[in-house]
Amino acid sequence: MINWLVRNSFQRLVLLVIVSIMAHAVVHLAPGEPSEVDPTNPRMKAEDVARIRAAFHLDDPIHLQYVRWLRDLASGDLKSFKDGQPVVEKIGQRFWNSLPLFLVATLLIWTLSFPTGIHAALRRGSVFDRSATLTAYALISIPGFCLAYLFIMFMVNVVGAPVIGMRTFGTEQASTMLQFMDRLWHLTLPALMLALGGIAVLSRYVRAQMLEVVGQDYVRTAIAKGLDRDRVIYGHALRNALLPFITMFGLMLPGLVGGSVIFEQIFAWPGIGRLGYEAILARDFPVILTINFIAAVVTLAGTFISDLLYAWADPRIRLQ
Amino acid sequence: MSDMPSANAELSAATSSSPARLAWARLQRDRLAMAGIAVLALLGLAALFGWLATSASSPWAVASLDPATVRLTDKLAAPMSAASALVSESERPFLGVYLMGTDELGRDVFARMLQGAPVSLLIGFVAVGIALVVGVLVGALAGYFAERTVLGLSIDTVLMRLTDAMLCFPTFFLILTVVALLPASIYNIMVVIGLTSWMSTARFVRAEVLSLRNRDFVAAARALGLGPARIIWAHVLPNTMSPVLVTATIGVATAILTESALSFLGFGVQPPDATWGNILADGKVFIFDAPWLFFIPGFAILAVVLAFNLVGEGLREALDPRLRHLREAAPAAIRTVRASGRKRTAMADGSSTAGQ
Amino acid sequence: MRRLFLFAPALVVLALVQAYFWVPTYDDQLRRNNARAGTYIEGSIGDAKFLNPILNSDTASSRITDLVFEGLLKLDEEWKLAPALARSYQVSEVAYLGLPEGVEPDTYVDTVRAAIAKSEADWVENVVQVRLTDPGRREVQATFENTENKTETRAVDLQLPPRLEFTLRRVDQDLAARLEALLGQHFPTRWEPHSFGQWPDEVSESARREQALAAVPLLEHNPVIEFRLRDGVRFHDGHVLDASDVRFTYDAIMEPNNLSPRRADFEPIASVQVLGPLHVRVTYKRLYAPALYSWTMGILPEHLLGVATRDEGGMRDAPFNRAPVGTGPMRFVEWRGDELITLEGFPGHWQGRPELERFMFRVLPDLLTQELEFAAGALDSYVPQPHQVERFAADERFMNFTANRPGYSYIAYNQRKAPFDDPRVRRALGMAIDVEEIVRYVLHGEGDRVSGPFPPGTPWTDPDFAPLRYDPEAARQLLAEAGFQPDPDGWLARDGKRLEFNLITNNGNPVRKAIMTIAQQAWADIGVKANTQVFEWAVFLKDFVNPGAFDALILGWRLGVDPDMYQLWHSSQTGFAKLNFTGYEDAHTDRLLERIRREYDRDRLASLTRELHRQIARNQPYTFLFARRVTYAMDRKWRMVEADGGLVPVRAARSGELFYHMRHWRKVGSGAAFSARTGQ
Repeated sequence: MINWLVRNSFQRLVLLVIVSIMAHAVVHLAPGEPSEVDPTNPRMKAEDVARIRAAFHLDDPIHLQYVRWLRDLASGDLKSFKDGQPVVEKIGQRFWNSLPLFLVATLLIWTLSFPTGIHAALRRGSVFDRSATLTAYALISIPGFCLAYLFIMFMVNVVGAPVIGMRTFGTEQASTMLQFMDRLWHLTLPALMLALGGIAVLSRYVRAQMLEVVGQDYVRTAIAKGLDRDRVIYGHALRNALLPFITMFGLMLPGLVGGSVIFEQIFAWPGIGRLGYEAILARDFPVILTINFIAAVVTLAGTFISDLLYAWADPRIRLQ
Repeated sequence: MSDMPSANAELSAATSSSPARLAWARLQRDRLAMAGIAVLALLGLAALFGWLATSASSPWAVASLDPATVRLTDKLAAPMSAASALVSESERPFLGVYLMGTDELGRDVFARMLQGAPVSLLIGFVAVGIALVVGVLVGALAGYFAERTVLGLSIDTVLMRLTDAMLCFPTFFLILTVVALLPASIYNIMVVIGLTSWMSTARFVRAEVLSLRNRDFVAAARALGLGPARIIWAHVLPNTMSPVLVTATIGVATAILTESALSFLGFGVQPPDATWGNILADGKVFIFDAPWLFFIPGFAILAVVLAFNLVGEGLREALDPRLRHLREAAPAAIRTVRASGRKRTAMADGSSTAGQ
Repeated sequence: MRRLFLFAPALVVLALVQAYFWVPTYDDQLRRNNARAGTYIEGSIGDAKFLNPILNSDTASSRITDLVFEGLLKLDEEWKLAPALARSYQVSEVAYLGLPEGVEPDTYVDTVRAAIAKSEADWVENVVQVRLTDPGRREVQATFENTENKTETRAVDLQLPPRLEFTLRRVDQDLAARLEALLGQHFPTRWEPHSFGQWPDEVSESARREQALAAVPLLEHNPVIEFRLRDGVRFHDGHVLDASDVRFTYDAIMEPNNLSPRRADFEPIASVQVLGPLHVRVTYKRLYAPALYSWTMGILPEHLLGVATRDEGGMRDAPFNRAPVGTGPMRFVEWRGDELITLEGFPGHWQGRPELERFMFRVLPDLLTQELEFAAGALDSYVPQPHQVERFAADERFMNFTANRPGYSYIAYNQRKAPFDDPRVRRALGMAIDVEEIVRYVLHGEGDRVSGPFPPGTPWTDPDFAPLRYDPEAARQLLAEAGFQPDPDGWLARDGKRLEFNLITNNGNPVRKAIMTIAQQAWADIGVKANTQVFEWAVFLKDFVNPGAFDALILGWRLGVDPDMYQLWHSSQTGFAKLNFTGYEDAHTDRLLERIRREYDRDRLASLTRELHRQIARNQPYTFLFARRVTYAMDRKWRMVEADGGLVPVRAARSGELFYHMRHWRKVGSGAAFSARTGQ
């Protein structure tokens, strides 16, 4: 067990280094310079550009830049090119803004897809199954930004409810309860948008998984022997069907971060995806690299925990 | 073919029909998938026609379908409106009518959609092709040579850790980074989408190979002195084809969507190449003033991506050996139980779970 | 278990949906919220970066710092310089003349004084004093290539002999010529300042001469600006502004660690002296008229930033940049990154409390959501895109303001290559394009034709000078004169070579894409074949613009208010990555450009710039296309409070600057706040 933990953590650490080197290479070898180095600004002289390049160490060999980035990241000295803010603090701030979005989206994905998937599996070929299939696929087949616009236009023009941003301005003096609900409401639409893809995919997986488990001999036997159907399905079959989903939990986060780029852009949400997107536009290398790095750390930690949980939940697997 | 895996052998024996034909028969019963196939067939025709009629180098180019013709006087014309008299004879649209309206430069949206169809499809297919090649290669190597070691690490570990590394990136963010930093050519976009979506293929190919590696028919092939490349190619890979086919179909859908998302952020395919994605992204600012510029490409993408997804889903059901008997047996069993309330089981066939 | 699977999703959905009933609708926000009436909410695509005027160069940051900070000078309603934090300012000049060889200094002074006394009256009046200086020393930076082929800089001390010092009331860029005419054979002929110092051996004789002369020419102009500051101006924290804050701001800009993008504007300054608590004297190293505009730069508080600059290696990391304190009409309240910046009226402002109570700057990166928020009343202004202008103009709820954007779009031709070295070809290509049509259809009328290098609406352009006319027939004739005849396929060719070239632009700009398509078609109509390509910005610059490796390209300039175009058109600016990337060289243009940046008199300056405008337009190095207009749609409820307390509709400044009077704005008719205050 301990042996497994040590070895696995070490492997993940190596992986992290590989990931960060890859990201670093991609970012630094591509053409394009930080927007602070602006050769079209008529007021900027060649020596000014040179001074900025030197201050950002852009002319150092790439491996030195990598070491410097890692060192600054570890010591907390890493500063954004764009506004001189400490990168970790900046990302932390945006991460706290995005976290509720991710949480609600995750909640929506995991609560909505299970009943849908199970129900569809148990009524294979029924109207419910088919319409669920069609709806699920239709929702993930519309380009996300298209659907988001349609929803926003409906909400703003027909319902008259504010949906843009994290909160309604002017509610600063209102009761805490109202402010909380206001925040919750503003979360709803972007979180739903973020969750749609996940719901569609996961409910399909649940359905497939349920179908397989329901077809197993022991389930059929149990039902044939006259045990309560709901008990068999929800108590026994589902337990086994659920196992593989533990691994999916850890792998869900990168998808959410990726999806948040577009939806945070549309919903004016000051979150991590938008920070990343704007960093890319401005070639703000420290921010791009650190977001990639942190996402990798979180995902690796997620898969690590998934593996542990899996081993704990499934007695057939031993960590060795 | 006599040493094919047992499940297939049993099935073919039982029904005296090839697996492919069986699958097709099953697929035909899936009305959604068939509708999808019909849409795709239509799309294929449109793409072929679009490629022939609108590309400048094509000998069959139709002048009235030139997507680049600018008619400023007819800008933002609604769908089905006739060309105005100000448009010169040589620049009149197909049939003299803007079937899908015009954009802000008076270009015929119908022609542009036709031009975009093959490009959108090409992006999907090439990206998926790249993903499949990389994924199958990595998966097969990792699975077949799982025990070989390099520098103290097994090949399997190295390749699977690489796969994990790729899975760790927020894929869309990675694509965005690369596409934003590289020159935005259509090839870069195809390659980048391809290189960031091979991981799931690699994983299931590896699993499949691992499970097949020690089967008798593979051992027999090895005993006959066949090289590993030959064995993988001729005996192992054919058995992984059905999930690969399913992944590929859905992968094309995903690639088309990814391209449109990139276009939305301004990093998609650049003109003169039109794709449905960039027509949609360009049309978004006209949503109130010329809604067709938003809804026509939006609906087209919905239809095509949905078709790919439904066909993929249909294929999955039709090809999956584990689901195969369930279709006839298990739900029926449950239904029967429910109907009678107790004890009766209808066991259509006695085969145990296949594919273990 | 089964219940859980139904109960959990129901609960989640219910929780989210019920939240809707707590949220104020857009209507409620407008009607029931008193604070909304005094608040102006603006949307922006991007967030600010540094709320520090010396560190930012982006529009979002400047929007905020322009309200929070003030400069010594400001641009008035007509874009003329006017006093702001300075009560008054005066420009004068001190000039130094090297002595001829072998003269007795004291007698030479008398000779010069006598000669001046006898000359024209206005010239006598301008000279306050002529005297002999003491010997002095001057540090010059000698640059050279060291043994490793790297550029190195080392300081060289020049021991200057006594020189003649002229104190002038007004700057006179022709002083040398006047003196030469006046003094005749007494005017010095030899001046070799490099002989006054010890140079590193690596610097060649000619380089020494050149570098020393650049620093200490025979006649050295030192323009001087004296500012008298306003009494009793306070920063938002109550601290009184004084002359040392001005000096501190200058020092902060020049501090290398701050990486200030404004540094080039302040580089010509020799010294900033504090002569009294409210008295500053700025001395320049050479004539450089645009330097005046740089004093519109916001003044920083030394008492808050001094420590950061002195002890912490620069102010780039200072917390001040995210919570600024200035002297401007609006005071900083809060900045939520990527979301919102809030400012409020500063009651202690020297011009009195602003009418505008609060200013909110919302970051809404997507234009479509900006439009929706504006239409719903959650934003007070919106900049409609060209195709939307008509719709917003027709809407009763909004008022519209239109102004020119300072800048223009153009097609540039690489004049290092044939056939673009022939002005007739450039002119013909320009005449083939119907710019009016582009403005009408692509910009939906939101643009004005540009006839030359200065955009319309500025005092620098010649309003009577007609732009190139659209005449494809004449274009074809011009090309025939240049030797181009149609080949069998109908394309124009000269000596068997087709007139065929690449027209390129950067991606991400739909208007440029449209121009590209239209130009290609227009040229095809006169038999010129252009192939078009679009490149990503970084690639576009690196591979094409910087090395000058292109045929023709579409781009635009964004210009400031000062008329100095030296970097865009001077023949010395054609090198790698310089801004005269078309390789335009014209001696008359060069002369005008040099005079313009040395001219301190506004009227003379205007006649020089108009001459430049015509001269460049004659040569057509670009096809000058159009200056875009920007239209603001604004909620009709905004009013302006006049000096007498009366309410009038919001109006823009005569220069077109909509926000010039913003501090006097007030919103009426929506909240209780208004009715309470006016008693209606």
